[in-house]
Amino acid sequence: MQPLRIALAQLAPRLGVLEDNLASHRQVIEAARAGGAGLVVFPELGLTGYQLQDLAAEVAMRVDDPRLLGLAADAAGMSVIVSFVEEAADHRLFISAALLENGGVRFVHRKLFLPTYGLFDERRFFAPGDRLRAVESQLSVPLGLAVCEDFWHLAVPETLALDGAQILINVSSSPGRDLAAIHEVGLGTAASWRTLMRTYAQLTTSFVVFCNRVGMEETISFWGGSEVISPSGEAIFTAPLFDEGLYFVDIELGDVRRERIGLPLLRDERPELHLRELRRILAERTEMAIDQASEAPTEPEPVPEQS
Amino acid sequence: MVSGAGPEAGHGGERKGQLFELPPELAIDTDVARRVMVGFIRNQLRQAGFGRALLGLSGGIDSALVAYLVAEAIGPESMLCLLLPYRTSSRESVEHARLVVDNLGCASDIVDISQIVDGYFGRDREIGAGGAAVREAAPLRRGNFMARARMSVLYDVSVVWGGLVVGTGNKTESLIGYTTLFGDSACAFNPIGDLYKSQVRQVAAAIGVPEEIIRKAPSADLWPGQTDEVEAGFTYPELDRLLFWMIDKRRTDDELLNMGFAPAAISRVKRLVAVSEFKRQVPPVAKLGPRTTGVDYLYPRRRPGSARP
Repeated sequence: MQPLRIALAQLAPRLGVLEDNLASHRQVIEAARAGGAGLVVFPELGLTGYQLQDLAAEVAMRVDDPRLLGLAADAAGMSVIVSFVEEAADHRLFISAALLENGGVRFVHRKLFLPTYGLFDERRFFAPGDRLRAVESQLSVPLGLAVCEDFWHLAVPETLALDGAQILINVSSSPGRDLAAIHEVGLGTAASWRTLMRTYAQLTTSFVVFCNRVGMEETISFWGGSEVISPSGEAIFTAPLFDEGLYFVDIELGDVRRERIGLPLLRDERPELHLRELRRILAERTEMAIDQASEAPTEPEPVPEQS
Repeated sequence: MVSGAGPEAGHGGERKGQLFELPPELAIDTDVARRVMVGFIRNQLRQAGFGRALLGLSGGIDSALVAYLVAEAIGPESMLCLLLPYRTSSRESVEHARLVVDNLGCASDIVDISQIVDGYFGRDREIGAGGAAVREAAPLRRGNFMARARMSVLYDVSVVWGGLVVGTGNKTESLIGYTTLFGDSACAFNPIGDLYKSQVRQVAAAIGVPEEIIRKAPSADLWPGQTDEVEAGFTYPELDRLLFWMIDKRRTDDELLNMGFAPAAISRVKRLVAVSEFKRQVPPVAKLGPRTTGVDYLYPRRRPGSARP
C-alpha cells in the first residue's frame, strides 16, 4: 500500500480576518499538493482565529458559502480538513471542522464539547454539536474528526474508532499555559495533550493526527506541537512548539491492520455492555431525586415506648 | 530551596554561590517563558500597528528584564528607555538603569520628575500647587504621586517616540496590590505580569541581566533605604510560594497550614489580595443600555481594523 502523506498546516491565523486566512489556506493547499499530500489538516478555527467573542457572528459561514466552496474547489483531488465558524439555517453558531473532497464539502463535524471554564468562554458564543460519527473518505480508510476539547472526553475517540475510523484527527487551538520546569518541554498543556494522544492511539489502535495552531491572540500563545501518532502509541512526528510551518508526514495505513491483528483491543471492546451500564447510570442519575423521595419513610418512625 | 543558576552565579557576594532563592515549585523553563514573552511583545506591537516601544527603567530587576525582552523582540534600535528619577532616588538606581542601557545599546533619556512632584507638594518653604497642607503628605501619598508623574511623562514621550508603553509590574506585586493605580501599573501591555518575583529573577539570570541588579534588595525607591521585603514583612520567595499555592494551586487555608505556612501570613496575604482586587480590574460601568462595554459588548482588543494605520 502506498504511504499516505499528511500535511499538517501549523498556522497562525489572523483574528477575524477571513479574507487573509482564506488566502493563506489556498497557499498552503497549493504547497501541500506540490508536496504530494493526500490529506491536509488545518487547525481549529484556522479560517477565523479563535478569540472571536462577538466577532463570531461576523465571520460565520454557511456550509454552502461560496468562499468555503471555492476552497473546496482548490482542494480537489486531496482530502482537506478546514475549520471555521458555521452558521446553521436556524442561526446557531458552531465551531466546525469540514472535510473537503472532490470539490465539495463532504462532511461537517460540529465541536461537541465547548470549554467554558478557566480561560475559555466558548459556550457563551457557540452551540455544541450533537453528532459524532466516522466518515468514509476518498482515502482508503474512514476518518474520525474531533475539535480540540472533544478529545478531553474519552467517549469521543472510542466512539469514532467503534464507528470505523482508522485515523482520528483532532484540530485544535490550544492555548499554552502552566509553565513549569517539571513538565516535558516546560509546558503543562503540551505534556497533557501528548499523554492523551498516545493513549488514544494505543487504546483505539488507530492513527491520531493532531493539528494545533500557533501565534498569539490577546493574552494567549498557541503552542503548536502538532503530531502524528502511530496505532501503537508512538509519535511518528512532532512539530516544533510555537513555529509556524507546513509539515509533511508519511504514514503506512497497513500499520492499523498489523496493530489490530496483534493487539485486538477494538475487537474485544464491549459496546453492548457499555451501553447497558450507561443506560443504568443515566436512569439512576435522572431519577435520583425521585428515588430519594420514594425511599423516604411514608409513615412516622415508630417511637419506642417508654417503659 | 534550590540555587538560581545565573550566568555569573557563584562569584561571591553575601549569598555565597547563590544569586537568588528559587522555590522549586516556581522553577520554570526559561526558554519557553522567553519565547512566549518575546512573541507576546512582538505581536502586541504588530497588532496595534506599532514598531517601537518604550519603558521606564528604574534600575530594578523588573524593568531591566522587560528591557532585555523588548530588545530581543524588536531590537534595541526600536526601543527607548526613560530614566525618571526624583531628587531623593538612590544614585545606585540611576547607575543600574544606565548599565542596562549601555548593555543593550538602546536609546535613552532622563527626565528628572522632581519639579513636577515638588511643584505639587512644595519644597522647603515653597508652597506647591497642592496648597500648604499637602506639604505634610505622608511618604506613601508622595510615592503614589511620583508613580503617576512617571506614567504621565512616559505617555507623553510615547507620542513623539511613536511607540507603546510596556508594563514592568510582576505578578507578586500585582496580587498583593503593591502598585500605584494609574501609576506604575499603567501600560499598553505587560509581558512579565504573570511571573512571580522569583521567576522574574530566574528569567533575568537566564537572559543576562547584570548580577548586581538581580542580587540587590528590591525597592520601590520612594524614600531612601526603603525595601519591598521590609515593607511587606515577607521575603519574596516566602510570599511567592504562598501566593502560588493559594492562588494558582487553589489550596485551602487548612491545606496551607498543613504545608507549614504561618496562620498570620495566610490571613494577611489573603486580605492583601482581596483588598487590592480593584487595582487589577477595569473600573466598572453602570449597566444602562442594551450593550455595555465589558459586559455584553465583548470584542477582542485586536479586532480587525483596530491597528493604527
